[in-house]
Amino acid sequence: MIAARSRVRLGSWWLSPHLLTMTVAMASTACSGFQSVLDPKGPRAEAVSKLHWTLLSIATVVYVIVIAVLLYALWYASHRPLPAGDHPYRETPDQADTMKRGVIIAVAVTVIVLISFVFASVSTGSTLGRLGGTKPLRIDVVGHQWWWGVTYNDPDPHNQFETANEIHVPVGRPVLIKMTSQDVIHSFWAPNLSGKKDLIPGHQTITWFRADTAGVYRGQCAEFCGHEHAKMAFFIVAEPTLKFESWVQQQRGEAQKPTDSLQAAGERVFLNGPCAMCHTISGTGAGSKFGPNLTHLASRLTIAAGTLPNTTGNLAGWILDPQSIKPGVKMPPNRIDPQSLQALLAYLENLK
Amino acid sequence: MARRRLAVRSSVCRSYLPLLALGAALACSKQKAPDEVAQQGPSPAMTPMAGRSNGGAIANEAEDGQWVRPAKNYASTRFSGLGQITADNVKNLGVAWTFSLGVLRGQEAAPLVVNNTMYVVTPFPNILYALDLTKPGAPMKWEYKPGPIAAAQGVACCDVVNRGASYADGKIVYNTLDDQTVAVDANTGKEVWKTKVGEINLGESLTMAPLIVKDKVIIGNSGGEFGIRGWLTALDLGSGKIAWRAYHTGPDSAVLIGSRFKPFYAADRKPNLGENTWPGDTWKIGGAGAWGWISYDPDLNLIYYGTANPGPWNPEQRPGDNKWSSTIFARDPDTGEAIWAYQLTPHDVHDYDGINENILLDLPFNGRTRKVLIRPERNGYIYVIDRTSGEVIAADPYGYVNTSTGVDLKTGRLKVAEEKDPKMGKVVRNICPAAPGEKDWQPSAFSPVTGLLYIPHQNLCMDVESVEANYIAGTPFVGMNVKMSPGPGGNRGFFDAWDPVARKLVWRLTENFPVWSGALATAGNVVFYGTMDGWFKAVDARSGKELWKFKTGSGIIGQPMTYRGPDGKQYVAILSGVGGWSGAIVAGGIDPRDSSAALGFVNAMTDLPGASTKGGTLYVFALP
Amino acid sequence: MNADRRTRIKLVGVASLLALSSLVACKREQRRFRESPPAATSANNVSMSELQPGPAVTNVQLRDPYEDNAYAVAQGKQLFDQMNCSGCHSHGGGGIGPPLTDDEWIYGSDPQNIFSTIVEGRPNGMPSFRGKLANYQVWQLVSYVRALGGLQGKAVRTTRDDHMMYKESEQARDKGHPTPTFVPPTSVKQ
Repeated sequence: MIAARSRVRLGSWWLSPHLLTMTVAMASTACSGFQSVLDPKGPRAEAVSKLHWTLLSIATVVYVIVIAVLLYALWYASHRPLPAGDHPYRETPDQADTMKRGVIIAVAVTVIVLISFVFASVSTGSTLGRLGGTKPLRIDVVGHQWWWGVTYNDPDPHNQFETANEIHVPVGRPVLIKMTSQDVIHSFWAPNLSGKKDLIPGHQTITWFRADTAGVYRGQCAEFCGHEHAKMAFFIVAEPTLKFESWVQQQRGEAQKPTDSLQAAGERVFLNGPCAMCHTISGTGAGSKFGPNLTHLASRLTIAAGTLPNTTGNLAGWILDPQSIKPGVKMPPNRIDPQSLQALLAYLENLK
Repeated sequence: MARRRLAVRSSVCRSYLPLLALGAALACSKQKAPDEVAQQGPSPAMTPMAGRSNGGAIANEAEDGQWVRPAKNYASTRFSGLGQITADNVKNLGVAWTFSLGVLRGQEAAPLVVNNTMYVVTPFPNILYALDLTKPGAPMKWEYKPGPIAAAQGVACCDVVNRGASYADGKIVYNTLDDQTVAVDANTGKEVWKTKVGEINLGESLTMAPLIVKDKVIIGNSGGEFGIRGWLTALDLGSGKIAWRAYHTGPDSAVLIGSRFKPFYAADRKPNLGENTWPGDTWKIGGAGAWGWISYDPDLNLIYYGTANPGPWNPEQRPGDNKWSSTIFARDPDTGEAIWAYQLTPHDVHDYDGINENILLDLPFNGRTRKVLIRPERNGYIYVIDRTSGEVIAADPYGYVNTSTGVDLKTGRLKVAEEKDPKMGKVVRNICPAAPGEKDWQPSAFSPVTGLLYIPHQNLCMDVESVEANYIAGTPFVGMNVKMSPGPGGNRGFFDAWDPVARKLVWRLTENFPVWSGALATAGNVVFYGTMDGWFKAVDARSGKELWKFKTGSGIIGQPMTYRGPDGKQYVAILSGVGGWSGAIVAGGIDPRDSSAALGFVNAMTDLPGASTKGGTLYVFALP
Repeated sequence: MNADRRTRIKLVGVASLLALSSLVACKREQRRFRESPPAATSANNVSMSELQPGPAVTNVQLRDPYEDNAYAVAQGKQLFDQMNCSGCHSHGGGGIGPPLTDDEWIYGSDPQNIFSTIVEGRPNGMPSFRGKLANYQVWQLVSYVRALGGLQGKAVRTTRDDHMMYKESEQARDKGHPTPTFVPPTSVKQ
């Protein structure tokens, strides 16, 4: 009975004017924002977006014409005078000619439109495939359940460094990404910048993008990869070259050493407890790659792969009980006494 | 194949004595008994490096019938001037006495003989026995138990072996698995000092035999599979205090690279390569221990040794040359300063440790005699390197190698075949030689009489798949699944005689199992080695003809040695007891159904349990 | 009409059988997301010896909460690699540590024995993971280790990555430590 009632309610809601409002609201939010295909911020997304709008507008015109012709035909059929003769519906030779011409023109227009679509599609494809610029920034991305490992390569291996779930890029410089996965198939998708590309275990795939406008863009795993697929996000931070370089300099360094006794105690908690079994903090003894690299954790915008803003409270909640935030996540819940937790938080928040 | 014979021995001595040093000189100049003299003359101008008297220690390298360090002499020739046992009479060799060590793990040590006492070190728990050779049956004089921490067995990558002790200044010095170096009074068995030099919780262990140079005991750590930071350390012989420590990764100051460092190749001259050829701070856990052999040239006052593999095995976690792993170092033993270095396998991707023995010889090359070191390397090449400068004179393959195509003598760089590089998540098949290399730790011998190098080695290939390695201190840090199999031909071992001047193979014996024992060359033109199914063999030094063999109780992976007993007779001794990396299937009771067990070695050794059981017995042989 | 009814009965029968068989798999596939947080502590009721003084007492076994649970075994397999267990025990065959696929268990094969072995370590080289893993992770490891040893039910026989080893998975093979046939060696001069 309850079910029935709710169905009725749902039905009435469905018919209500709310629907229109909702749809319009949704459509308008999708047009811009930090995770939207409709708000391109780089050449790849732009090319796709251009193609999309081109196809959409032509398709719209075609649709309108077809519908108009159809309506006209319906109207005309009921309003034209009946011709005289035995076979009122037989076409006269004149009519047959007109008909034939009409069909030929329609087919020709259709073919031309479709061929132009092919050209548009191929040329977009080649734009996507061509690296938009020289001297790309080279990044390796490794997919894990459910986070992103990021390595910044450098011709000098000593300058290589790792981060997680956050990709900083300089505005205007192409970024070449080599991707693979540690476990299952994931897909790298930052709609404002580039289309999807799968990360396949044991195989390397390549994608690239260029951010032409500074900003923060959200990306998302786009291939179902397990429980927390939905909470496997990342952020791309596009910033001016100088700012980016200073970020690189800071990321290359070892982790901040504890500056006071509380932080020192926190470091001990980290290294002696379960944390060091999974995470790396460069410059300490912790070097496991099971979980994200935390060397410069405090410099990141979010924790838990784009799930929570990086605040003290969120961090504490995450450390104590990640399973309630991301059920099924590989990080176990931790029982830490309040003093140790305070110390640990102080230490982690210092990892700028 | 027939070598030039020089008919008259005395003329050999006269004509070459001025050039001569150690070995050949001993064979001639000692002239103690007719049977101690080589039957056939040495190759012209082919002499092992001169050994010198060394302070108060008894390291006068004239043949004294003793065996005071595992490699016999500083030049590491493992050649004894004793010649009672000859190619003609070796067939009469029989067991003189035996001794049970009471430990059933891989017996890789060389027994020492000093002052009519034999000293034997067992694998973990590293008991030291002193056996009185003056009495019939060599009864035990004393035993010394260092009591190493049992947990150290958890950080010993490839069985809990010990490669022997060294003697100097009335002390027997050796390492225990749990990172302690001990000096024991050779007469009384009392501990003189004990120094903790490493930390098992960082994955460090000690398996190598120390070398004593002047007043320094030189040791290096093991643990390239545990994310250690490799080092070589000198302890003061008198007090056991650490005199210096040279790391093998990190900034120049830690590697003891200073103004005297003059590597031959320009690429090695940049500053801080030990740090800059690693990503980030991975050099801190980059492996490169020194668990192998050290040689010493008293004339140049330099020690030579090689460093082990970089860690983890998964190469994608450490792009760069990974200096100074798989590198030969020449160092000043007094200060530890590096004089030159040469990286044999830059950015090693196949666990080709560079710890093998360096045999110091003076050899003619292009018309002039050069001071060289010869080294059958794990990557499949026999290197001839100028030991004054570090220049590679020659590098020739001595087995089937498909991981590289040779060594560029201009730049000194190994020409790597990249298609055999492991890739994450992929299986790369048929990599030859396998992870233990063409030859592992098992030391070769050089006879100045025949001028040949006797190389015990293996013939293995492998399939690998690299996986992400997690560094958790005190646990393995490898990141590679390995599966080994016999190399081309199907047999797993070779015993080669190699002519280092002509740079070619002279003869080769094939063995079913890897030849994991060391070699011993004697002035009687007999060469000894053992096999993993328990045969102790004597072969003709010139032809390789098998002259005698004896089946011991267990497989042999030890180092044969020979000495003159108090009765004036020549004895040959070997430890029998299978184990080590190759014998882990027996010593560790490993299940061969898992082909990746024991870092993949088990897959090539599944039939060993049927050929040998565990053992731990010292066998001493003599003529009747 | 009759035939129609018979078909219908058959269909119902098949459907209910299918439903029943899916029930069987319930436990196998069960996943828990709300695990108890404490870091690993030792298991109670563990004795290392079969020999007990005094009158015979039946040993109360601590149950592995994940016995016969395939999901836990799969998680344990992942942990086994990530906590570097495979560094010493390889993929069950052993190396630095003893093999886990054979029928020799130095410190016992019961779930609580394996649990204590992991948590407390063992004197001859097994590190202690006390305080380093959560209880449920240790139990997942226990499940995997027992699956390696062929001690879990057939339904949760774990699979090994077979792309390296083109052999039957170890659980499918005979139990026991094999004694391979020995091929006599030859020493042939080339």
